Amino acid sequence: MAQALLSSANVMARWIDFSRRLLAGLAFAFAASSLAFAQAPEKSVRETIAAAAIAPTPAEQREIILSLKLKPTPETVTWFENWKSGKIFLYDDAGVVTPVILTGKADDDESFATLKLADDTPYTTADGKPVRINPKTVQFAETDSGLRKAMKEVSDIVALANPDLAKRLRAIQDAAVGQKVEKLPALLVLKTTEKNPKALKALEESIAIIQLRSPVAEERLAACEKLGKLNSLAAHDTIMTIRAEAENSGDTAMANAAKSALRAIDDHLSRINAVGTLFHGLSSGSVLLVVAIGLAITFGLMGIINMAHGEFIAVGAYTTYIIQKIFTTGLNISPFGMSMSIPGMNLSETNRGWYFVVAIPASFIIAALVGVLLERLVIQYLYKRPLESLLATWGISLVMQQILKFIFGSNNVEFTSPLWLSGNWTVNDIVFGWNRVFVIGFAVLIIVVTWLVLNRTSLGLLIRAVMQNRNMAACMGIRTERVNTMTFAFGCGLAGLAGAFLSQIANVNPAMGQVWIVDSFMTVVVGGVGNIMGTVISATGIGVSDQTLQQYLGNPVIGKILVLGAIILFLQWRPAGLFVTRSRSLD
Amino acid sequence: MSPKPFLLAAEGLTRSFDGFKAINDLNFYLDEGELRTVIGPNGAGKTTFLDLITGRTQPDMGTLLWDDAKHDLLKLNEYEIYRLGIGRKFQTPTVYNDHTVTENLILSLAGSRGIWHSLFGKVTSTQRDRIAEILKTIKLTDHAKRKAGVLAHGQKQWLEIGMLLAQEARLLLVDEPAAGMTDEETYRTGELLLSLAGKHTIVVIEHDMTFVRQISQGRKVTVLHQGHVLCEGPVDDVQADERVIEVYLGRKSKAA
Amino acid sequence: MNKQPLTSRVQFPLLIFSAVFLVVIMPVLNAYGCISDFTLGNWGKYLCYGILAISIDLLWGYTGLLCLGQALFFTLGGYMMGMHLMRMIGGTGVPTFLSMVGRQEWPSFFMPFTSFPFAMLMVILVPGLLALVFGYLAFRSRIKGVYFSILTQALTYGAALLFFRNELLMGGNNGFTDFRMLLGYSLRDVSTKRGLYVVTAMLLVAVVAGCKWLTNSRFGLIQRAIRDSENRVLFSGYATANFKLFIFVISAIIASLAGALFVPQVGIINPSEMETGKSLEAVVWVALGGRGTIVGPIAGAISVNALKSWASSGSTADFWPLMLGGSFVLVVLFMPKGIMGIPGQIGDLIAKFSRKTASSDAPPPASADTSQEAEILSSTASPASDS
Repeated sequence: MAQALLSSANVMARWIDFSRRLLAGLAFAFAASSLAFAQAPEKSVRETIAAAAIAPTPAEQREIILSLKLKPTPETVTWFENWKSGKIFLYDDAGVVTPVILTGKADDDESFATLKLADDTPYTTADGKPVRINPKTVQFAETDSGLRKAMKEVSDIVALANPDLAKRLRAIQDAAVGQKVEKLPALLVLKTTEKNPKALKALEESIAIIQLRSPVAEERLAACEKLGKLNSLAAHDTIMTIRAEAENSGDTAMANAAKSALRAIDDHLSRINAVGTLFHGLSSGSVLLVVAIGLAITFGLMGIINMAHGEFIAVGAYTTYIIQKIFTTGLNISPFGMSMSIPGMNLSETNRGWYFVVAIPASFIIAALVGVLLERLVIQYLYKRPLESLLATWGISLVMQQILKFIFGSNNVEFTSPLWLSGNWTVNDIVFGWNRVFVIGFAVLIIVVTWLVLNRTSLGLLIRAVMQNRNMAACMGIRTERVNTMTFAFGCGLAGLAGAFLSQIANVNPAMGQVWIVDSFMTVVVGGVGNIMGTVISATGIGVSDQTLQQYLGNPVIGKILVLGAIILFLQWRPAGLFVTRSRSLD
Repeated sequence: MSPKPFLLAAEGLTRSFDGFKAINDLNFYLDEGELRTVIGPNGAGKTTFLDLITGRTQPDMGTLLWDDAKHDLLKLNEYEIYRLGIGRKFQTPTVYNDHTVTENLILSLAGSRGIWHSLFGKVTSTQRDRIAEILKTIKLTDHAKRKAGVLAHGQKQWLEIGMLLAQEARLLLVDEPAAGMTDEETYRTGELLLSLAGKHTIVVIEHDMTFVRQISQGRKVTVLHQGHVLCEGPVDDVQADERVIEVYLGRKSKAA
Repeated sequence: MNKQPLTSRVQFPLLIFSAVFLVVIMPVLNAYGCISDFTLGNWGKYLCYGILAISIDLLWGYTGLLCLGQALFFTLGGYMMGMHLMRMIGGTGVPTFLSMVGRQEWPSFFMPFTSFPFAMLMVILVPGLLALVFGYLAFRSRIKGVYFSILTQALTYGAALLFFRNELLMGGNNGFTDFRMLLGYSLRDVSTKRGLYVVTAMLLVAVVAGCKWLTNSRFGLIQRAIRDSENRVLFSGYATANFKLFIFVISAIIASLAGALFVPQVGIINPSEMETGKSLEAVVWVALGGRGTIVGPIAGAISVNALKSWASSGSTADFWPLMLGGSFVLVVLFMPKGIMGIPGQIGDLIAKFSRKTASSDAPPPASADTSQEAEILSSTASPASDS
């Protein structure tokens, strides 16, 4: 799946690149028509360079070269380099000068085959015979300092106008570093052709940052104001310096402008942080939710304190691991001294990314099957003894952990996370990492599925009936044993899903589930036992407050302890959690 | 109206569970020394009413005053209400199964309920005599050293009544004492309750009309219906009341 | 039925003998070289665990409160003792755990711990107060059953997170170690070790005696009544929250004392002792030995730990978690009363068997019928009883 997405992302990027070129081309056409040198719009870089090489005067040469500013491609720079290093030759055939380049190997008399610079076709005489020339006998195109300056100007723009958006943005932002005034012209030119809003904003920012050093006072003030309006985070430190300088030199106007710009930027920054914290909180709440939702079923609905919940998460994660291995190189394991080898399919880079799609249902099914086994062997005898179910399942968690250690070893196993999880999406300076977006989406999906299963299927109806009153349901002919098994298996399956999910964002080892046990029990308790909605809200609440406290205290441990304390106090206020089902039976 | 102050006065009590009004604007007055029987069809709110008195449930509205309005029961929790002298026998017998019959009674004896007393207080000879007396009354002398859990259903009911006696409660709330008993046991339970009448104030909740007739003997009977007092009066009047026949006896005969 | 007096007749002399054996005979044998110092050291540890197990049983077996925070109280006691021992190391400068976080001087809260009586007071006060505050909050809002277990687990988890931090100035991960002196005796001396063992054994005997007395008083009756049916106890006029709070604080202090004696014997205390698994492990000892008895938890603690010392070294080490976990599951499923319940279970089996053979010629005795009925009744939850 990852690879598929990746390739579709490539297609996307190519399309964007294409449209950008198209736009640039149009801009070129438009701009070129207004130039004194009316170049034909379809002229390629090579044709333009060729024209420049044979232009009669240095001034004309410069002007043709400068016209390339409107069509910044890396190819231009290559040709400049060739020109400057004397690789363009001017072949004079009876007064008709043609710029050519040499190709192939030298023959005995040190002459080479030639290609026309303009269109890359072999240069022939009138009768179609290919011309070979000796570089020592033919004059090459020369450059003077004016021409080189023009070339540099164009090269700067090319450097800034990388077709890859990310690289272009980086180049534009780098241009502002050091506030060098000589970088300004290139930026100003690029601004006239740039169509991408992000790049345009970066351009405005960089231009303004450089203009902060402008010799013209009005321009400096305007730049400062502009940066404030743009909420430019990049300019923050520079403006601080400017303010300090202005205050020292008694330039109140500038100092005030800097102050108000800084205020705007700081406001923007705190907004970003708030949204960012909320987003992080939502995503960590989602992780909590995905991990706790299975418990909300086994503990919340069934009253089974499944201390082995964490190990079911590990089962799901290892299932994902095995599937990943099957898609690639295969797997050799030696549980209990037996040696087993699972052959791999050795799929291609693009196809093996699908492992995750297969792993999602597989991890659910495997964990659910282990759950069935556990329920039949142990849990079914403990429905009336919740405290003892806690103890027995803790024993089971020890056993399961050890078995996982025997099979897979106690170290972390490696996952190649799909590349699409490492990207991000930036809106208004707020970075939304794809992995976190994925986390939230996955959580929403699981909740919707759980809700649908519980409320829209006959299994859900049976589950709810049995969990409310086992004896009554049994009297009505429901096979409660079977429903118990299936409910428990469903809860365990959800834990397995959580494992598949955590394999992408956390370390996978036999003890991985332990980290989550306390948190997920607290989540279910706070949410109110037997209430899926309560679990959703409490997971989100705990996640957000945890992240917020971390943000403000700068310390994850203290934040966590405070959250635990808050939960204990919260239970003073609502001992039965957020949502309480009021009924006549009180115990 | 009685010139005597009420022992227990409930006014405008309302309690609902998820929209269902188990108790609805209930008014109920009890005199000191009364033996009152409360009857009503299933779901009439009889047990919920006892829950409200003993602090097990809080009402949505209404007042519940004790001993000439000296105490507001709604402000007290279970054990504080108990310490005012309100004892309760639950519908299903609830005794300490893992304790012996004697231990059950010791736990219920009147006296301090503090930790210190529980650690260092000894069972006095007067208390032993009292326990022996109660055991005789509830006919469990032979079972004194057995665990309460192994008693027969009827014996547990009696033990629970014995626990009320040990408590020396002013008000005994007795919830369906005859449930699950043989006719003979039921009759003996009736006799026991009658012998207590006068010494204690007693509220009996019951279904069994023979039993009700036995213990009411012209005393006031209250009929609850849908959480509300339908009518009050001597048992014959009540049984002749058309509304009662319709909601309670009528249903019962249909069911039978 | 008639077995009961017999066992209690045997029980008392047996208890006295065990006490004498542990307190007097073992150290004497050690002094004469019949028991190695290593073995005696191990037994010192086991007995500390035994005391911890009793503290769990007081709550779980007798009051129905499964506290998963006893390891926290045990560790806190250990830390209080550890602070004293750290101050007793002597020498110049500060220990590395302080210099590591840039402290060149002892923090002021360490100073009073130079005094042994003060440290002992803190061993009692710190866990006692923590239990008082936490218990007050928990019992006031009527948190019980599994909720209580989960909350105590969370408390322990939070505390462990805190103690793992170096900034708490309590030694971080590494905790306290390299102790030298206690009350002027070198901790490396064999005689000091023997002395510590004797103190531990005496504390164990005292705790057993105290618990026997407590559980046989009317308080014990109320305790077990709360375990079986807390609501009924409320309706018998007892403020159950106070009773639970009292026993919670008492058992926290007992656990803390055990921890305080544990630390000088093993020579180290660190936060891994209060990880959530530790409390559960101690609960295993109680379950295995037999909850609701005084001797059972000690037997459980000693046997599990002896087995652990034997099994968790060498080639069987990997199998230890399997054995521990597996035996736990089996105990919960098949031996709800633990080792102490085995005689009773065997007796039941024999009774069942003899009744089966007898039933062909004679009707079963009436008492058997009632006990069967009682079983059915007690297993169906009545509305006023707690689940």
